[in-house]
Amino acid sequence: MADTFLERLDAMVADVLAEWNLYTTVLATILGAFAVYMVIASKDPDVHPFLLARQSTPAPVRQHGESATYRALETPHGFPLRLGLNVKDPGAPKWTGGRRGDLRDIWKTAVRGALNEDGSPSGKQGKIYTVLGKKAIEHSLDQVTQEINVIGRHLQKSGVKTVAVCLTDSVELLAAIFAGAFYGYKTIIVPHNLPPETLSAHLQKANADALIAEAGSLDLSLVTKGNKQLSIVVWVAKYGNRHMDWNEVPEDVKGSLKVAVWHELIEEGKDLSGLDVPAYDPKIPTPAVNTVWPSSSESGEFIDFKPENLVSATGALSALPRTQRVNPNDIVLSIDSLSRSYPLCQIMAALFANASIALNSVAGEKVDFALATVGVSPTIIVASSRTMSDYHDRIMEPHTGIISCFGRWLQARTLEAGNMPTRNIFSQLARIGPTAELSLDNLRLLCISHRIDASPEARLSTQQLTDLRVFTGARILYALTGPGVAGAIAQTNIFDYRNVGGLSHFGAPLSSTEVTLTNIAEDTESDGLVEGQITVSGPAVVGGNTTLPARGRISNDNTLELCS
Amino acid sequence: MAAAEGSTPQAEVMTIASPINLIIASLFVVLLYWHFRPKAPVELPRGPPPVVFRTYTPKTLIKFNGEDNQPVYLAVRGRVFDVTPGRGFYGPGGVYENFAGRDASRGLACQSFDEEMLTKDLSAPLDELKDLDAEQLENLQSWEERFSEKYLVIGKLVAEGDPEAPAS
Repeated sequence: MADTFLERLDAMVADVLAEWNLYTTVLATILGAFAVYMVIASKDPDVHPFLLARQSTPAPVRQHGESATYRALETPHGFPLRLGLNVKDPGAPKWTGGRRGDLRDIWKTAVRGALNEDGSPSGKQGKIYTVLGKKAIEHSLDQVTQEINVIGRHLQKSGVKTVAVCLTDSVELLAAIFAGAFYGYKTIIVPHNLPPETLSAHLQKANADALIAEAGSLDLSLVTKGNKQLSIVVWVAKYGNRHMDWNEVPEDVKGSLKVAVWHELIEEGKDLSGLDVPAYDPKIPTPAVNTVWPSSSESGEFIDFKPENLVSATGALSALPRTQRVNPNDIVLSIDSLSRSYPLCQIMAALFANASIALNSVAGEKVDFALATVGVSPTIIVASSRTMSDYHDRIMEPHTGIISCFGRWLQARTLEAGNMPTRNIFSQLARIGPTAELSLDNLRLLCISHRIDASPEARLSTQQLTDLRVFTGARILYALTGPGVAGAIAQTNIFDYRNVGGLSHFGAPLSSTEVTLTNIAEDTESDGLVEGQITVSGPAVVGGNTTLPARGRISNDNTLELCS
Repeated sequence: MAAAEGSTPQAEVMTIASPINLIIASLFVVLLYWHFRPKAPVELPRGPPPVVFRTYTPKTLIKFNGEDNQPVYLAVRGRVFDVTPGRGFYGPGGVYENFAGRDASRGLACQSFDEEMLTKDLSAPLDELKDLDAEQLENLQSWEERFSEKYLVIGKLVAEGDPEAPAS
C-alpha cells in the first residue's frame, strides 16, 4: 500500500517535472530573483517600533481632574527639562556643565564657524541667503556682524529701550534681533503687512520708542500720531529703492523724531565698528524678544519671550537623533515668517549648528510652496501646516496620475516597514506629476508647524504626511505651536512614518515642555482616552505655565492629538 | 522521418498553463503578497493608570497599613509616601510596621520604631515636631530625601477637621 502510494507520488512528481519548459525557466528565474531581492533589500526599520508605540512617559501620580503629566522620553520625570543650549565656554573646566546660553551665544557660535572633531575651529562659517524671486543673494556672517554693531550702537546711543521691528524675513530683521541681545534693547517683532492703525496700536501697547520698518511700506504721519514716545525710525530700503531719499520727516513730529536709513547708517559706521562680535558678560541677561500671536481679535496678543524661553526651545528643537541633526552642510530655508516662534527657533538652531540659512521675503503662514522654494536648493525647509496642506490639495493631489500612484504605493510600503525610501527609479516614478515644478533635490527634512488655533482644515492627515514624504523625499517633523510657548509644544518623531489614517497626531512633548490635560471628566472610568484642556509647562513656556484654548487627548501611543 | 515527425508535435505541447508553471506562478504571487502585505503598526499594552493624588487625614490613612494586601502608605511631615514596594520593611511583620498607615515623622527623626512615637489620638492635630533638636531634624531630612528618591508621593496628610480635609 505504502509502496504504491510512494510510487504514485513519484510518478506524479516526475510527470509534473517532465513538463518543465522555457516558460518554467523564466518563471523560476523571476521567483528566484525576487526572493534574493527580498533578502538583500530587507532592512531594519529606522527606529525600533516600540519607541513609536510609546512615545512619551506619563507621570505615575496625577491630580484630581487632570491627566498625568507627559514628558519626552529623553527627559524622564524627576529630572530637569532641557534648559538651554549647554554652551561650553573655551577654557572652562571639562567636567562642568554648560551654560544655558542666550541669543549672543548663538550668534557667536555661528560666527566662530564649525568645529573640527578635536574641537579646534575649522573656519567654515555658515552663510545667509536672502531669496528674492528666483535669485538668492549671499551675505557673509561677518557682514551681518557689522550691521549688528552699527545698528546696535546707533540705537544704544539714542538710549532707546524698546524697538519694534516690522520687516519681512530678511538679514536686517535677523540683525535687529541679535543687535537687541548685544546692545540691550527689547525687540518686538511685529508681523509686516499690518494696516497702519493696527501697527500704531501695537507700538502704543508695547510703548516702543524706536521702529525699524521697510521704507515706503507705511505712512509715518499716521503711525506717529498715536505714538508720541517714538523717537527713532530706521527705514530699510530695498535694493531697488536705495537711490531715493528716505530721510524725510513728517512736519508735526520734526523736532522729536529722528529718521535714518539702514544702508546709509551701515555705510557711515562701517569704518568705526569692527567685524568682531562684541564682547559680553554672559551673566548679564539679555532683554526679551516679543512676538505677536495672531488671535481672533484684530489686535493680536503680545508674547513676551524671555531669552531663557527661546534658548530652551532652540535647544529642544535641535535635539534630533544623531544622524538627522542639523549640520554645517545644511541649508535651512524658512518659508514661514520669523515673527512666529517656531521658525525663529528653528533658524536659531540652524545658526547654532553652523548651518547656512536662507530667508525669503515672502515667507508667511500662507505662501505658495513651489514659488517660495525656488532660488536656493535647501536641505531643510520650515513651513506652516497651512502652506503644506494647500500645496498638497492644490498641486500634489490633482497631479497624481496612475504612474505616480503606483510609485507612491510602492514607496508607501517601504515607509510602512519603517524605512525612509531612498531615491531610486520608483521615487522618480512617484514624482513624475506631483512635484515636477519643484527643484528640491537636496531636501531631507520638512519642519511643519501647526498653530493650535488655526483653522482645522490646515491640519494634516497621516495620508498627506505620507504623500509629502514620498513626493518630496524628505522626512517630516510636524509640530504643534501655541501662544506663550517658545518653539513648539509637541513634535512628531522624525522616524514616525506610520500611516494610521485620520488626522495626524503631534508626537510627544518636546524636551523643553511637559503637557498635562486639565479639566478632564473624572466619572468616565472606561478604556476611553482622556480628553482635556492642553496645559503646558516648562522652561520654554512664558511664565512657566500656560493653559491653551484647545482640547487635546493622549492617544494609545502616548502622542498628543487635538480634539476636533 | 517518422521518428522526426513524431518528435515535432512534442514542441507544440509546450504550454504556459502546465501544472509546474502554475505552481511556480502561485508561489510567486504568495511571495509578492507576503512582501507587500499591509502591516499593522506595533502596539504596546497601556501602562497602569496613574494614581490620583489625594488628601488624607490620620483616620483615612490608617487603612493603608498593608493588611489584607492593601497598599502600604506612611506620612512624613505631611507628605504621604506609597511604600508598597518596600512591603518587607514597612508592611505587616516588617521592622517598621508600626509606621504603616501613620504619620512617621517623629519616629524617623528620633530613630525609634516604638509605638509611643506615634500620635495616638487620630483626631488630634498633626505633630508639629517643635521640640526636636537640630540633629533629629537633620535625621528626618535625610529620611525624607531617601523616601523621595525611592517612593512616590501620592498624597498629603492634614489633620482631622482641617478645611482641606475631604468630607467623610
